[in-house]
Parts: sequence; C-alpha cells; structure tokens
Amino acid sequence: MSMLEVREVHKTLGGRPVLRGVNLRVEKGETLVIIGRSGCGKSVLLKHLIGLLRPDSGAIIVDGQDVAQVRGHDLGALRLKFGMLFQGAALFDSLNVFENVGFALLEHSRLDIVQIRERVSRALQSVDLENIQQMYPADLSGGMRKRVGLARAICNNPQIILYDEPTTGLDPIMSDMINDLIIRMHRQLGVTSIVVTHDMKSAYKVGTRIVMLYEGKIIAEGTPQEIEQTADPVVRQFITGAAQGPITANRNIE
Amino acid sequence: METVKRFFARARCFFEYFGSLSLLFLRTIGQMFVPPFKWRPLIQQMDTVGVNSSPIVFLTSFFAGVVLALQMAYTLKKMSAEIYIASLVSLSMCRELGPVFTALVVAARVGASITAEVGTMKVTEQIDALETLATNPVKYLVVPRFLALLVMLPLLTVYADAVGIIGGFIVSVYNLNIPVFLYIKKTFDVLAYKDVFTGLIKAMSFAAVISLVACHEGMNTRGGAEGVGRATTRSVVFSCMLIFAANAFLTALFYFIK
Repeated sequence: MSMLEVREVHKTLGGRPVLRGVNLRVEKGETLVIIGRSGCGKSVLLKHLIGLLRPDSGAIIVDGQDVAQVRGHDLGALRLKFGMLFQGAALFDSLNVFENVGFALLEHSRLDIVQIRERVSRALQSVDLENIQQMYPADLSGGMRKRVGLARAICNNPQIILYDEPTTGLDPIMSDMINDLIIRMHRQLGVTSIVVTHDMKSAYKVGTRIVMLYEGKIIAEGTPQEIEQTADPVVRQFITGAAQGPITANRNIE
Repeated sequence: METVKRFFARARCFFEYFGSLSLLFLRTIGQMFVPPFKWRPLIQQMDTVGVNSSPIVFLTSFFAGVVLALQMAYTLKKMSAEIYIASLVSLSMCRELGPVFTALVVAARVGASITAEVGTMKVTEQIDALETLATNPVKYLVVPRFLALLVMLPLLTVYADAVGIIGGFIVSVYNLNIPVFLYIKKTFDVLAYKDVFTGLIKAMSFAAVISLVACHEGMNTRGGAEGVGRATTRSVVFSCMLIFAANAFLTALFYFIK
C-alpha cells in the first residue's frame, strides 16, 4: 500500500485552473521529486498534501484517510505525521531558534522541558547546527534559516517530509549542503520525502523518482536516469533549460 | 445600469466583509474554550497593547481634557456658569471622549501593529507553518490579542477618563480660578456609576472591533510588503469607521435604555 495517494485532484485559483486531474502515488521510504516551471502548481500541489488547501474535486489519501475530508483535531493529528520545509523557511520571527524548532513539542506534547531541549538539540545537530538556540531568525543567514526550518520539520519525528523549493535563493555550495541533508534525512530517519523544485541538479541528486507537472497534470514519471534520457520534447526542454521548445511555443500561442 | 451593478457589487462586498468578520468572531469565541490554555502569550499581549499604550493615551486624554475645559469656559463664561465646567468635563470624558479617543489611539497604534505583524506572517507563510504544526492560527494569534484588548482597553479608558478630568481640573483651577474643592465636588456630583459603566461597555465593544478587524485584515493579506502596507491602512480606516458607528449605536441604545 502506498504512503500517499493523489487521485484526480482539480484546483482552480483566481479563475485559473492550476491542477487539472493530478494522479500520484508515493511509496513508503522513497524521495519523490516534483519538477515543473515556476507557477505551474507544484507548491499548490504540496499544500494540498498537508491540507493547507482543499481540492475542488479529487482525493488525497494519507494512511487511509482523505486529507480533504478530515477536520479539526483529526486534521491536526494527521498534519503531525508531516514535516514541512517552506521555501523561505517560514520561521516564526517572534520566537528564538529553540522555540521554533521545538514548537510542535512545546504546543502538543507532554514532554517536559528537559526532554524537549534534548530533542531540539538532536534535531539541530542533525542539520549541523549547534549553539544557536537563543538566536532569533533575523540573526540567521539564508542557509541557516533553511537548516533551522528543516530541524523544525524533523523534530516531531514525522513520517513524511515535504520540501518546498529547498535550494531556492541559496548559493551553489549551500544548495549542495541542503541536498546532502535531504539525502541524510532520508537515510537516517527512513522517512518518505516529497521535494518540489525546479533545480534539476538538486532533483537528480536527491530523487529516487521524478515526476513532472505541466499544465496542471503529471506528464512524465521515472527514475532520475530515465528522466535525464527522456525523449519527450516538453520534459527535454525543461531539464535542459532551453529557451526554445514546445513549452515556450505553447506560451507564445496563449 | 452600470451604476446599479456597481452598487450591488459594493453592497455584496460590504456584506461579505461583515460575514467574514462575524465568522472570525465566532471562531475566536469557540477557540477560547479549546485547551491548552496558555497565559504567557496573553500576558505578553496585555503588556504590548495596554501598558505600552499608556503614554500615548495619557497625552491624548490630557490634552482632550484641557481643550474641553477651555472650549466650555469660552461659552460658559458668557453666562457666568464656569463652575459647570467640572461636570461637563467629567461627563464628556467618561461617556464619550474617554472611550472613543482611547479606542482611536489604540486602533492606530495597536491595530496597525497587529495587522502588520499578522500580515507579514501571512505573506511569509508563517501562518501556513503554524497550520502544518497542527496549531490553529485563530487560537494562537487571534485569541490572545482579542482577550488582551478586551481586558486592557476598558482599563486604559478608566485611565484616560481620570487623566482627562485632571487636564480639565488643571486648566479650571490654575487658569480660570475655580476653587479646588468646588471643582472636585462638582466633578463627582454629576458622575453616576452608569456613566462610567456605559463608557466601559463601549470600550469592550471597541476592543472587539479593533482586534477582530486587525487580525482579519492581517490574515487576509496578499501581495508581499505592498500588501502588508495596504492591509495596515485598511485595518486602521475600517477600525476607526466601525468605532464611530458602534459609538453612535451604543450611545443611542444607552439613551433609550434608562
């Protein structure tokens, strides 16, 4: 049985159809990378998986429960199975690093403060950060913010980690460090990961499977090697980053 | 035809806005009773919205009391009735000016800051992050601000009433030469519990308006830094308009309820 399943999901935002029948299965323990152009609906799809957006039609099944149908306390419990790293890290400005990373534990667990401190330290060590627990997000660099965001995502021992553009806005070295961290999280914690990116270097490196979202649908699926060698002209244009091709031709016609 | 269409579109927006605000009010009341109950955020907010607003409330109400006494002296002198300044200042401050001026000052200072903070959280996905961490944004963000204002605005209003009366007292005693004891006697002679009480009811209503409008605008912010600026402006404007409207409604209500 798959860990997560997206069935025929449709979503229109601001009168524009963003998702037009997305179907996707994510197996336990795999790292699925969703690629696609900016604004093609990758982040919208990711937000559907954790119930931040509800589909106009279709279903998202996690552990046998339809995310779109769950409400209240059950939705909270379902969300705690996920960890999410946001594009800009989305750290809480008014809280320090300790309070950010341990947020879910401080709010929802019955652990005492010593145990929470231990869990937070362990999460920060996993992302190669130490002695920054009293610092505030405004004092951190972009790379550190992403790593603190990742520490927050893993602190609650989630089963699935969602990464929204994890390398966007970082220098190439920091991007590669984040890629290494994603691989390390996958190996050490054995979690299922879903990564949304348009950074092909990152996609090839971290993914065990890659799917491409185009015009609201999944148009390609395969291992990194299969995607790299695909003959599909749309996928080829995207992965090679060519300015001329079917994607831009369609846009010009529009 | 176009004008009628525009009118209906505006009316629809108006009702949608009030519907959305009422829904936020109901969700806030509902979330107030959902455990866990945490005191720290409430105390922090009470400090931010109440204690930190006291200097500006002091200045506003002190000058309001001074101006009120001087303007009344201008008219009452002609009738040699300056002694009634004390009664008029105390009644005006407790029934009208204290609650309304305090609410306007707090709407501008606190309401704007709440919208800017919550709006920034919205555009930087911090509110989404709260939800992914199984935390209800209404409980975490709106409830402490709503309760803090509900407690602190009436306290600030009592403080403003007192400071305004002192402002009027200083002008009357040192400038218009009204005897001190007579001024104090006239101040308390006319003041009934109801005058202070109605002012406090108004303050509580204004507190609800300011907190709900500010949080609602913040949580519906779109479009980055520019959107935060727009939401903040809208929050202050809507709060002030609603404070005046609520004041008119409550004044009429208290007038007819003897």
